[in-house]
Amino acid sequence: MAVETAERPAAETIEANGTVEDEGRFQRYRIRTGMFAWMAHRLSGVALVVYLVVHIWGLKSLTDPEAFNALIAKYHAPIYKVGEFLLLAAVVYHAMNGLRIVLIDFLGWSPKQKKLFWTLGAVALVLIAVGGYPSIYALVQYFGA
Amino acid sequence: MARSKSNAVNWFLHRITGTFLVFMLITHFWVQHYDHQVASVTMEVVAEKGEMPTYPEEAQEGVKARFGADAAVTPYQVVMQRLADPVYAVLWKGFNILFLVVALHHGFYGLNNVLTDYIRDPMGRVVARVLSWSVAAVLLVIGLYSVITAGW
Repeated sequence: MAVETAERPAAETIEANGTVEDEGRFQRYRIRTGMFAWMAHRLSGVALVVYLVVHIWGLKSLTDPEAFNALIAKYHAPIYKVGEFLLLAAVVYHAMNGLRIVLIDFLGWSPKQKKLFWTLGAVALVLIAVGGYPSIYALVQYFGA
Repeated sequence: MARSKSNAVNWFLHRITGTFLVFMLITHFWVQHYDHQVASVTMEVVAEKGEMPTYPEEAQEGVKARFGADAAVTPYQVVMQRLADPVYAVLWKGFNILFLVVALHHGFYGLNNVLTDYIRDPMGRVVARVLSWSVAAVLLVIGLYSVITAGW
């Protein structure tokens, strides 16, 4: 199915307005569930690649006990606990939406894609809450006490 | 011809690696953050300079059982319970190597997709592809070296 944009809207919109707006260099997409899912998938994906680079680079210290201890101690600082939570949120969203893409591509579930988005979205929220609880708990303990 | 075929293979692999990563990440997160004996990052905030996190009893017992009663329970030793084990280290290192390869392919193929969506110039696309796969190759070497030599 063609993507609807401001320049190329669905046929019924052209009939209703009679004109097509020219928006310049960038197309303005109509943001619906699928488009939102795609944009969030792309943003979280790029963020995760950046994290992957930093993560593998940091793990060079596995060959040096002193450096490794210093690195892991640093990972317990408050700002890293916040980062840990955000990382989990990005991973869980990317994994759940990725699962949706796989089901659509391999099992032909595209007619169910919207329902699938909300179902997996709910699963993602539960996973983020349960999995991220330790990071938040640690922060509350630290700043609350 | 060759390019379009390799793109189709990579497209297919992207979905396979993605599915694999879901399960591997569950294992990874569990082992690194939630398991009381071997998790190196604990449910604790440590902000003092030079201070180490304190580990649960399971981890302290595990480290002392393996490395002697006077062994220091540091993050490194907690991780070495797995990576310096005479038997399980091979399995964990195997898991980590597979994880590394799968994650790098998934991440950098995805990055390539994003870049080719915004770069229209054919030469620019080649440059972007060569650059991103080079970074992936460097990370693969660094990762393999770190995982294989750790504890050995």
